[in-house]
Amino acid sequence: MKLHFTTTHQDHRVALLAALAITIHIIESAFPSPLPGIKPGLANVVTLFTFMMYGWKTALQVSLLRVIISSLLLGTFLSPTFLLSLCGALLSLSSLILVQLPFRLLPAKIDHQPGAIGYAIIASISHMSGQFLMAWYFFIPHPGLFKLLPIFITFAVILGIVSGIITQLTISQLTSKQIQRSHLRPDI
Amino acid sequence: MTSIKGLILFKPADIIILISAGLLTLWLYSVFWFDNSQQGEADRLLLQFADNDAIEYPLNKEQIITIKGRLGPALIEIKQGKARFIHSSCRNQFCVFHGWLTIAGDTTACLPNRISISLKGSANDYDAIAGAQ
Repeated sequence: MKLHFTTTHQDHRVALLAALAITIHIIESAFPSPLPGIKPGLANVVTLFTFMMYGWKTALQVSLLRVIISSLLLGTFLSPTFLLSLCGALLSLSSLILVQLPFRLLPAKIDHQPGAIGYAIIASISHMSGQFLMAWYFFIPHPGLFKLLPIFITFAVILGIVSGIITQLTISQLTSKQIQRSHLRPDI
Repeated sequence: MTSIKGLILFKPADIIILISAGLLTLWLYSVFWFDNSQQGEADRLLLQFADNDAIEYPLNKEQIITIKGRLGPALIEIKQGKARFIHSSCRNQFCVFHGWLTIAGDTTACLPNRISISLKGSANDYDAIAGAQ
């Protein structure tokens, strides 16, 4: 008996983006970090890109797939690292949704929405705070840990701007050129 | 609006978000690094020997506690809401040289003698910001 799966355009797109995010995530985890807990978070560029181009549902799929599959590949599934990663990913995506919500309700005549940089800063700050609170609550419940929070948030803002610029450049490349016929073609 | 080759990088909302992120960061620095008012008043001393349960002493009563450690007796003085080791039977005397413990969260341990003391405030430990210095 043969199994038949009918895959849609959307499935292909999710698979493509998730594969990209997983690859970036794994390459990035091979590099040593100057400070524990601080990583460029380039895999989040893919999440943010997905969020801005295809909406939050696709972004949620891509983001969950990335966290679960890359942790399986790295051998950290269900470990503290995995929990931190999952918590950060979910929190950053939900804050993106929350920020976008009021703009969706506004009349769409004028585009008031933040660009990639604004979203990236929000995502990276909430990713960092999510991981930080998780680490503090479950692993190191010591009030002294909060002395590190300002440093972490400073780096989150800086790295957020960097990944926002990368995302914006990617989006403008993709929307302007030959990508119109591939799986990454926007629906709009 | 800043742009690279006609590409808009910063939209107005981005600048608002960037400024608020900067303010948030500054606020975090001011709260967690430069605000010492939250470093709670301590009101009791916890004294622990080896694996025994910690014993609590109020800080408002001046007294000198004698406790027998693994190597010998240690004397701990409580005075004016502060506490310190004044004598210990260990070799290095780190615990004595540490001096006064003054704010909630301050801790000194004499490892050879297996005695540790720390100050606690009335507030819930995990809600207070009580880093040393």
